[in-house]
Amino acid sequence: MSEPVSRRDVLHGVVRGGVLATLGGGALFLVQKAHGQVVWQVDAARCINSRLGDTGAEACKLCTTECVVALSAVRAVNEYAKCGRCNICPAYFNITSAVDEKGLPSEKLCPRDAIARKPIGKADPEDPANNFYEYVIDEEKCDGCGKCVMKCKEPLGLGSIVLRVRYDKCVNCNRCAISRSCPKDALHQIPVEQALRSPESLHRTE
Amino acid sequence: MEYRQIQVIGGKGGAPGQFATSLRGLAVDAHGQLYAAGDSGITVFDKAGTVKRRWTTARPVLSVAVAGDGTVYAGQLRQIEIFDGAGKLVDTWRDEALLGRVTSIGFVKDGVLAGDAADRAIRHFDRHGKFLNTIGKNNPVNGFLIPNGVVDFAVDAKGVIHAANPGKHRVERYLPTGELLGHIGRFHGTDPAGFGGCCNPTNVAVRDRIYVTEKAGPRAKVYDFEGNLMAVIASAPFDPNCKNMSVAVNARGVVYVADTVKLAIFVFEPVTV
Repeated sequence: MSEPVSRRDVLHGVVRGGVLATLGGGALFLVQKAHGQVVWQVDAARCINSRLGDTGAEACKLCTTECVVALSAVRAVNEYAKCGRCNICPAYFNITSAVDEKGLPSEKLCPRDAIARKPIGKADPEDPANNFYEYVIDEEKCDGCGKCVMKCKEPLGLGSIVLRVRYDKCVNCNRCAISRSCPKDALHQIPVEQALRSPESLHRTE
Repeated sequence: MEYRQIQVIGGKGGAPGQFATSLRGLAVDAHGQLYAAGDSGITVFDKAGTVKRRWTTARPVLSVAVAGDGTVYAGQLRQIEIFDGAGKLVDTWRDEALLGRVTSIGFVKDGVLAGDAADRAIRHFDRHGKFLNTIGKNNPVNGFLIPNGVVDFAVDAKGVIHAANPGKHRVERYLPTGELLGHIGRFHGTDPAGFGGCCNPTNVAVRDRIYVTEKAGPRAKVYDFEGNLMAVIASAPFDPNCKNMSVAVNARGVVYVADTVKLAIFVFEPVTV
């Protein structure tokens, strides 16, 4: 005989379903992988591209070159709550390139043109600096090379762009090829439950 | 025009004159004494860099300024504490809305100015703390663009406010009434005359010229009032990870710059070449 379902159980289920729906496709993949119990994720505090203190270094590209998945299962993610929405974003522009007639750097930083920039609200034709700008990463183009992550971190930027394992792309190798070569031991397996509690690791930027 | 480093004051530590966790503001009084806002206190150094006095503030201190009569203003979260020259608390201005995070303080003829980083604006009060008007919010982005988290400004001898607007790569000039008069500065990633990165300059001081500091890479520079670069004062001594380096200048043109990582005050003097 089945247990009676209480109102609290129903509400609990609704809330849980709502959270999962909010988390989107990443959560679905996680649920499907739940039998594996653990998934890989990048620790931003260890990753040389995002951890504080390493300034002026070249970006580490091992997430791109070592991953067995096409392009890489690791992609750059812009955590909008931290983003400064700057007119001149060092992760979008090559800020040492020549300045154009609008006063902006003439070259983009991303070699795959995976970041889009657009003004928030109505652009001021008299003064382009009189706007905030939104930076959206196209994860289908991004290969996780980390160049934008390195340029976004403090003190040059605000550290809003980090590298994340995308669970809809990761094949969850027992011995992740990136983790084996990462010089900072920044790839770790975390329980699925922990990944589900970290919406920022799931939320797609598109 | 060139500068040379002549002294280092403070540093990280617990000894007198050192700072434990933060060094956020500098000011120079009419007698050449240096006031440093660090940790939860104000430290006063004489011209030789020797500690003369130190007193504590109620909250971690974010900025410091010294009025012409020697009164010391200490900016904090949601309040300004006002001390006499000996460090005795004489008044506290509290305002949750207008003094969210007071990262700079200055003076004009009729009053006191406070940079409120929480609202990306400058507040104008009379000498008794009565609010008069806000400066810097009458624009499409509703305030200064400060991804670095600090509103910083200085007032020149004519009473004109020079405010750093790092997201626009400018130092803007305002009247105390809030009218924007103009600006100096432009973005450039390699030309030292420009301001680089996402958001520079972060801090400003004014005397006979306009003195600024930048982050990533950290450096101090001096401009004339037309915006022409006069000199790069220094870049080498600063920790590459520091930002929001407060800058102050005395009557002889000696420049004090606060390194926010080393918690040290670097002192530079102009050299005629």
